[in-house]
Amino acid sequence: MNRKLLVGLLLGVVLVLGFALVMPTAAQDRWDGADDLPVNPLECPAAEGAGEASPAEMSMPEYDGGQPTDAPDLAGQPIVLVDVPKLVGIGYFAATTLGQQQAAEELGNVTVTTDAPTEANIDDQIAVIDNYITQGVNGILFAANDPVAIAPVLTRALESGIHVVGYDANSEPAAREWFVNQAEFNGIAKAMIDSMVAEIGADGSFAIVTSTFTTPNQARWIAEMQAYQGKCYPELTWLETVEAQEDNVLSFNQATTLINKYGPDLDGIFGMTSVATPAAADAVAQAGLCAVDAVAGAAGSAEDAVAVVGLATPNAMKPYVTGDFAGCVKSVVLWNPIDLGYAAVYVLRAVVDGEFAPGDTSVMAGRLGELQVVNGSEVLLGPPFIYTAENIDGFDF
Amino acid sequence: MTATASPVTRPPVQARSGGFLSRALSFLFTQEVILFLVLVVLIVLVGSANPRYVAERNFINILNGNAYIAVAAIGMSMVIISRNIDISIGSLIGVLGTLSGTIAINGYPIWASWLVPIVAGALVGAVIGFLVAYLRIPAIVVTLGLLSILKGGLITITGGAWITDLPSDYFLAQMKSPAFSFLGLNVPEIPSPILLMIILTILAAIWMRYSTTGRAIYAVGGNAEAARLSGISEKRIIMTVFIINGITAGIAAVLWATQLSIIQSTVPAGLELQIITSAVVGGVSILGGIGTTVGAMLAAILLSAINSALVFINISPYWFRAVVGVLILVTVLADRLRRQRNRASERG
Repeated sequence: MNRKLLVGLLLGVVLVLGFALVMPTAAQDRWDGADDLPVNPLECPAAEGAGEASPAEMSMPEYDGGQPTDAPDLAGQPIVLVDVPKLVGIGYFAATTLGQQQAAEELGNVTVTTDAPTEANIDDQIAVIDNYITQGVNGILFAANDPVAIAPVLTRALESGIHVVGYDANSEPAAREWFVNQAEFNGIAKAMIDSMVAEIGADGSFAIVTSTFTTPNQARWIAEMQAYQGKCYPELTWLETVEAQEDNVLSFNQATTLINKYGPDLDGIFGMTSVATPAAADAVAQAGLCAVDAVAGAAGSAEDAVAVVGLATPNAMKPYVTGDFAGCVKSVVLWNPIDLGYAAVYVLRAVVDGEFAPGDTSVMAGRLGELQVVNGSEVLLGPPFIYTAENIDGFDF
Repeated sequence: MTATASPVTRPPVQARSGGFLSRALSFLFTQEVILFLVLVVLIVLVGSANPRYVAERNFINILNGNAYIAVAAIGMSMVIISRNIDISIGSLIGVLGTLSGTIAINGYPIWASWLVPIVAGALVGAVIGFLVAYLRIPAIVVTLGLLSILKGGLITITGGAWITDLPSDYFLAQMKSPAFSFLGLNVPEIPSPILLMIILTILAAIWMRYSTTGRAIYAVGGNAEAARLSGISEKRIIMTVFIINGITAGIAAVLWATQLSIIQSTVPAGLELQIITSAVVGGVSILGGIGTTVGAMLAAILLSAINSALVFINISPYWFRAVVGVLILVTVLADRLRRQRNRASERG
């Protein structure tokens, strides 16, 4: 009996020793949350007038999407779609759902249902999609939790003759026909860095609160932000990136820890998700470090102030832009997720109707007009939108 | 029932006969003391690497960060000590927090938005307790079912819309006690979650150690048959622990909801695991009959301190999960070791 315990304790000691040995090497790695893909930073603001390379001028890569096998011809006929976002229960995907419903109503011959796990979990998402392949639908709209892991189930959908269009978060290109790209990564990166520099100056220091280091969108934005910052604002100091899942209390705690760790050396925080940005703003507000602090008795001095710039939905940011903590946040970077969901439904309808096929360079998407094809099999929604105190109250999602 | 009925009077920490030294040793080896020492070592180590870690502000944030988890762990500890489990608690907190916010934005008085979730939590606890105690359905099955009902129901009803525009006097968790001086020390403003955590934990610990009902929880979890023979109503005790668990879940939900200016209207991912982990790492035996709420609180604080430390010493947050895993394994091993020593000493 005692021998068993001894073995158990030894095992514990070995585990702890293992930690002690691995930790120093892990600490040397840079946990910046960026991916390793090639980057394509846009022109710096000063050089913008000198002539910007527009996407159309760049050479257009070949169509690299997949195609469904023996899809029934339903041109002009009613179709049933299922929408599987990363998760349900956050304002962002509630907005894409709203856009999809608007498009369905306008078109009149499309039915869309949104169904997804309540946590951003790839295994659960695959199970949901699998379920709808078995039930049989005409098309699947998705926002992937993991670009690689979701590919097999989407390929199976294509093989079953189901049309597949992604939005918000891509899969491997061959696993879907088209992907509606809400904004090119370098466009968002430029808007984020430019907005931050406007507040903290070209020699400030900032940290990042992201969801996880492997979330494709966030990793891509961070990589492009690094590239753009290196090119245009080499004096900016990049402190670190912390993970906070998609959990607002954890995001708040992580942002608070950053504020405590760097003290006056921290000038700004980027929120990389619609959850992290308001939570970071809350952390700054509760620490009394808003640049313009409306809370009596909690006003931070301008030198200590921490700016917050990030991706978020307008409703979540109103308290910090125009509400109780007005002025705490000056710029919120995003596209319009209602338009994103709306465009995804129009793209799928156009594919079913045979009006949008591989090789086309644009597609008509209702009130959004003509959308350009980029990167082979992606449809670009447009440049990012910056919500400020002047315009944010005009949005409600 | 007399106070000398043997299983009922068994205190949480096995008081064994023996000299002063052996008693002092067994006190030193209690989970509470070990956790406290680990916490001190962690704070000293990280604090010497980065002094800002031990600055007053970060210290308060560490205590504050997991306070709602520690409050929920009070009820959870009782449930586990009675040899039951509640895996629906994360979902329940999500639902009760959303309920609280919904009441607040619909113009009802603020006290109602704080009180109704606690009452609702007690009702849900009573339902679980009834199913477990009287219909004899295992707690894990009951709460697994409830988890799905609450999670699905919340999304269906709210449609995932966040709650914003909360009234400015709603934020209970952001309120602070006034600063005061104590024995020449300047005690800073203490955020209400920390105050609630400490007061509720100590009250619960005293109640569990000295009241008849509190001791009966240990008896039911430690040896249900002996407890029954000594006249304890197992059914009543199980009802009681689940109702208390519902109440502490309600308080935790109010703290969770009033911490930030937005309520996410979702079930916080993995919250039930954090609460159960706090209880287990705090020395509450998953086999029932052993543990204290003080241990669970210390464990919740330790987890918060580790999370903060990982940021301060630049280690990937992925390590957090690994560290927590090691903590759970070490605790369960220590629990086994202690049980065997006790058994050996009872024999000897």
